[in-house]
Amino acid sequence: MTNSSNRAAPTPWFQLRKPVSSKQSILSAIFIWALFFAVWEGVSLAGLVNDLLVPAPHTVLTTLVDMLVNRGLVSDILISVWRVVFSFSIACAVAIPLGVAMGAFPAIEAVFNPFVSAWRYLPAPSFIPILLMWFGTGETPKLVLLVIGVVFFLITIIMDHTREVRTELVETGLTLGGKRWTIVRTIILPAVLPHVLTAMRQMLAVTWTYLVIAEIVASTTGVGAMMMRARRFLHTDEIMAGIIVIGVLGLCFDILFRRAHRWFFPYIQDRRN
Amino acid sequence: MSDIQHTNTVAAASAKLVVDSVTKRFSLGKGREVQAIADASFIVDENEICTILGSSGCGKSTILRMMAGLERPTTGELRLDGSVITGPDKERGMVFQAYTSFDWLTVRGNVEYGMRINGVPKPERRARTQKFIDLVNLGGFEDAYPSQLSGGMKQRVAIARTLANDPALLLMDEPFGALDAETRWHMQELLVGIAETANTTMVMVTHDIEEAIYLGDKIVFMSSHPGRVHKIIVPEFKQGKRYKSKEEVIGLDGYGVLEKEIMRMMQEQGANDER
Ligand SMILES: Nc1ncnc2c1ncn2[C@@H]1O[C@H](COP(=O)(O)OP(=O)(O)O)[C@@H](O)[C@H]1O
Ligand SMILES: [Mg+2]
Repeated sequence: MTNSSNRAAPTPWFQLRKPVSSKQSILSAIFIWALFFAVWEGVSLAGLVNDLLVPAPHTVLTTLVDMLVNRGLVSDILISVWRVVFSFSIACAVAIPLGVAMGAFPAIEAVFNPFVSAWRYLPAPSFIPILLMWFGTGETPKLVLLVIGVVFFLITIIMDHTREVRTELVETGLTLGGKRWTIVRTIILPAVLPHVLTAMRQMLAVTWTYLVIAEIVASTTGVGAMMMRARRFLHTDEIMAGIIVIGVLGLCFDILFRRAHRWFFPYIQDRRN
Repeated sequence: MSDIQHTNTVAAASAKLVVDSVTKRFSLGKGREVQAIADASFIVDENEICTILGSSGCGKSTILRMMAGLERPTTGELRLDGSVITGPDKERGMVFQAYTSFDWLTVRGNVEYGMRINGVPKPERRARTQKFIDLVNLGGFEDAYPSQLSGGMKQRVAIARTLANDPALLLMDEPFGALDAETRWHMQELLVGIAETANTTMVMVTHDIEEAIYLGDKIVFMSSHPGRVHKIIVPEFKQGKRYKSKEEVIGLDGYGVLEKEIMRMMQEQGANDER
């Protein structure tokens, strides 16, 4: 008797493969970040590290606020965001129609896939020198780099998801009188769109990576360029402020996409809540 | 083998659908082939419910898919109202065993889908949609999404969606195969009611003897390796009537006799296969 009652879960928040409550997951997230900053602050205060190389978190935050309010960081942020949004929109405008068409029609796939899959294996940054020669140092080479960095992956992912749309759905459409393109438009596309949005969310993070590379290598504006400037004057606090800004921006876009997913696809039941 | 009933050409005046000397071979690549159907012939009359019964792998789905136009016969032909079936068309609507609800559309959106892509004007579309939603007892669920529905309800949406498109032929491939026994029973009785109201010719594939006898005005019993029409059975004991209650049919004298006969044929089949 006592044995069996003792066995009843003594720690309900620490069970094998049981989802945690949303309160617990928020507290856990706060905990791990608080721990990170506390250790960092502690190490700095104790003088264990050279504060020229590793400034304390409160210094970084103060610098960040100062840069935002007084030193024009906002315009760098806007330029970076604009580059990402603009080039990513171009990549999507190409990849979504092409990826869906390739996944729906093997004849289209047979033409484009040998081309697309070869480009995927060429690292985008290897194009930087030639892009600089072709387009000079304006906006164009950066935007082109961002586009070729993600567009081929996007096409492939969207094509794969489109291929996985169940044959029965397509055949149902056929026996309801649908013509080829009607079925692509009214069945295949809506069936694959949730996966497309997820793929976009993941590839947007990759776009940020290429943005920072482009701005560090060949730019005088944007968050990446600001960090390279700071390096010249040994302003580690500014570099770290830049890293935080990029992280927060990435997080914001991720949240935006999650919201959009729930907004556009209300019929997909959220298993977590 | 004396009870194999097939002739090389079938032509009957009342026939809605004619399956005429159809064979089907699938290529497996590298020159290898599988013979799925060897010379099948039978007819389905107007407004008839025809069930195709046979063990798994005997070619039932293949025949049904040829009726839908989703597969082409290797030799022979299938004709609906006298014209040869060459490809899928809204005249021949199909319900699959796997759920085919369009998850991004509500129940109403699903049921009106076929009419929408075929350009049926909105007022008529709305009216027909409601009529068929009510017919499959889904009134009140018009605005629900398929993910909120049970398996049986999803299949009712699929049936309503197909019927609302006004096909000449309703094809169903084990539509209740994934449902639990009780739901399946309800769905079978519901289907009899639908057949009365909708006046559609139906062909339904099943491997469930009970289902084949209860629903079928005619049962096409198939044998396998390769798939053939083994026997065409008209359950005479039902005297050409359809019963709303399945229990009543199972209680009839002739039911047990026919069920035993079919079971015996299936066992012979199994014995032949093992040889
Ligand atoms: N697309 C296909 N390619 C190759 N073989 C197939 C194909 N479809 C069906 N077959 C074969 O044809 C035979 C009959 O299959 P099917 O019609 O699905 O049987 P049933 O529906 O009675 O279970 C099986 O041997 C199956 O493997
Ligand atoms: Mg089958």
